[in-house]
Amino acid sequence: MPCETLVSIRSLVKSHTNRYVDNWKDKGKPIIGYFCQYTPPEIILASGALPLRLRAIGSEDSSLGDAYMSSRTCTFVRHIMSMVLDEKYDFLDGQVTLNTCDHIRRASDVFVKKSDVPFNAFISVPRTPRESLYDYFLNELKKFINGIEEHFEVKISKKKLNQAIKLTNINRKLLTELNTLRILRRPKISGADALAVHVASQVLPPDVFASLLANLLDELKDFEGLEEPVARFVLTGTELDEPDYVKTIESQGGVVVADQICFGARSVLQPLEEDTDDPLDVIGRAYFFRTSCARMIGDFPNRWETLKKLYKDVEADGIVFQRLIFCDPWGAENHNIMHRNRDEENLPFLSLSREYGTASTGQVKTRVQAFVEKIEIARAKKAAGEQNV
Amino acid sequence: MPEPRKLRVNKMFRAEEFLKKPEWRTIYQSMPTLRNFFSSDPNAHGFNSLLTSITSYLNNMVDHVENDDPFVWYNLGFNSELIYALGDACPIPVELLGVMHSLIGDHSVALDFIDHAQACGVPGDCCSADKLASGAMHRGVYPDPACTVGINTPCDAQVMNSQVIAELGKAPFFAVDVPYYQDDDTIKHVAKQLWELIPFLEENTKRKMDYDRLREVCDLSNQMTEAIWEWLEWRKHTPLAQSSKLVAFTLILQIMFTGSQEGVNIAKGLLREARERVERGEMFFEERVRAVWYQDPVWTDLQIYDWFERDLGLTVPVDIFGYYANEGLIDLKTPETMMYGLARKLVSCHPMARQFRGNIDVYIRDFMNMIEGWNADCCIFAGHIACKHAWGGIGLFKEALKKADIPLLIFEFDMFDPRVTSYDDVFFEVDRFVNEIVYPKKLRG
Repeated sequence: MPCETLVSIRSLVKSHTNRYVDNWKDKGKPIIGYFCQYTPPEIILASGALPLRLRAIGSEDSSLGDAYMSSRTCTFVRHIMSMVLDEKYDFLDGQVTLNTCDHIRRASDVFVKKSDVPFNAFISVPRTPRESLYDYFLNELKKFINGIEEHFEVKISKKKLNQAIKLTNINRKLLTELNTLRILRRPKISGADALAVHVASQVLPPDVFASLLANLLDELKDFEGLEEPVARFVLTGTELDEPDYVKTIESQGGVVVADQICFGARSVLQPLEEDTDDPLDVIGRAYFFRTSCARMIGDFPNRWETLKKLYKDVEADGIVFQRLIFCDPWGAENHNIMHRNRDEENLPFLSLSREYGTASTGQVKTRVQAFVEKIEIARAKKAAGEQNV
Repeated sequence: MPEPRKLRVNKMFRAEEFLKKPEWRTIYQSMPTLRNFFSSDPNAHGFNSLLTSITSYLNNMVDHVENDDPFVWYNLGFNSELIYALGDACPIPVELLGVMHSLIGDHSVALDFIDHAQACGVPGDCCSADKLASGAMHRGVYPDPACTVGINTPCDAQVMNSQVIAELGKAPFFAVDVPYYQDDDTIKHVAKQLWELIPFLEENTKRKMDYDRLREVCDLSNQMTEAIWEWLEWRKHTPLAQSSKLVAFTLILQIMFTGSQEGVNIAKGLLREARERVERGEMFFEERVRAVWYQDPVWTDLQIYDWFERDLGLTVPVDIFGYYANEGLIDLKTPETMMYGLARKLVSCHPMARQFRGNIDVYIRDFMNMIEGWNADCCIFAGHIACKHAWGGIGLFKEALKKADIPLLIFEFDMFDPRVTSYDDVFFEVDRFVNEIVYPKKLRG
């Protein structure tokens, strides 16, 4: 694939930080780390800080995290907290944690008590996306804004929020365009690379990312596409910011043509309304009522319908579900998808458990290989049946 | 003492069908035997009142089945008052049957639920309490619900359980959100949702909320609360005069019985037993060491506490399931005050929901209150393997105890699955801790 930009993006997401983050810091501008997709980066941008999604890519040792959080905490959070405790995130000027899950909630405790990060914020996001609970979320965002304003001695005005919306909308439109290139019969980009691009959107200054992605889209224009895959997957499940893991899945001839991962395509909202009188409300609604994470109780029917629609829209052959061990919300989702799928659709479904940082395992390859074979056999049987008819 | 109900003729076939399910029949049939066994101790008012009330609950359930009354399923972070206030609606905490089987020592059903849940897609590393619930729902052992309620407390496991209830209940579902914080705004936020919940319950159960009846229910809830508080006070007595294993029942009281006469009876039975034993100067074992059992009881075999007492002189006057914070009385004046009080119970009092939901400070502070208030010598952190919030805070918890010079034992086990850590292994760990660490330290003064 003749894409210099892609090579550059792959390299930028190989570490928890990158040269653009370093440049930002060198200019004396603040950086605020965040854990979860329910944190609106627009608010951080409007304060003049860089929103940086926390990751632990490249971490080979979670021992400090283990000591504080035990081996019963998910490896994503444990590795991040190991890096925090090892002072690898000391460049942060602030962090915001949410009650996304028990693991991230406890990460907040460790952040507050054991790190030198000077600004700590918390947003309690209601556990179900019901209209009557929206005001609570909005109020939490207001408290977050007040906290930033007070600590960093800045004013987050409506004008700045509107500017942040415009800036992030550019990337939303570009990412949406990129995702349309994934669903072609011959996808122009692999699922692994697509994930790398989406991750980059959450760890780079928005203008830098927009420029890179525009270049990439330009470079892909003349590319005829990857080989037609033997199987087209929709990928869903827990947090996943490791392109190498997707690469392992794709190593057996399939391609992830769409995903519902919070670091991936699920991070891309519809463009937000611009130049409004109440930009915070626009932001709040967009984030609170977005395609939900499994932490949102009672919203499984919507997630299931979205997944089914996506599956049909991209003409997928199978769903690959991956879950970080110890994640309860996505554990429930695994159960519910299996239950609903069996009752309704019987779509080919593969469920994988994983640990953070162990991308290229033989076990994953073997299971995906068997899944691809199953899809191919079903396809052959169907073709034979049609011929007989 | 109520006996198992003789079925009425008119709808006997339905109730018979219900009782034919082996999962219910075992429980139902074992109650008289258990009551006979425990009634041989005329002073065991606590356990006897519990067994009597469970029998009464089962009888009521049979009646509800016979009468085609509506059932409301919910998970263990919720309380039953609002459902009782609907009159003849029957509350079903979905963990109920699996927990009961564990309590009577019939592991085959509990393990079947756990294994069945895993076969249906609940991951192995999830909480066995949820698996008991999911397995039971998959087995179809509960009467179909008119509607279901899910709450996100105390932990992610209950988020999971709520999701599964919503899916398997095949009935309208209402989610209650309890935020992270421990303040008045949080209580008001929950109270607002309880107001939303009432029309939902009314619509789906076809029953009208009667606020006078709610007042009676809340009054019963208050009576139970006051009895629990007084009971816990008597358990502060040194040496502990009442069996350790009874302390964990506060949670069961809150989940199943709060707002019912049965709940009051159990709480008063526990209180009476503790008070009378102390007043008689009774000490049926030699107390050498007192521990706060933090985290989960060994539900798979509560007799282990008897063994601790007899062989090690170890008593557990209080644990996290038994600790009921002194904030839970409901103001009966108006519907608004009652709703606020019910919300406050869910936020600030419900065992585990109080400590597990927010930041680690509440968790540590409550432990310190217990160790001081119940004059304990040490902490036993019984680490249920799926309690991610507790394990996630273990480093900070250890630091706090080290600073306070409190001996701490940490071990892993599963509170409903004895296959994870054996009874012998648990005993070995506790034995070594008591005899090699705590007791020598205590002797040294």
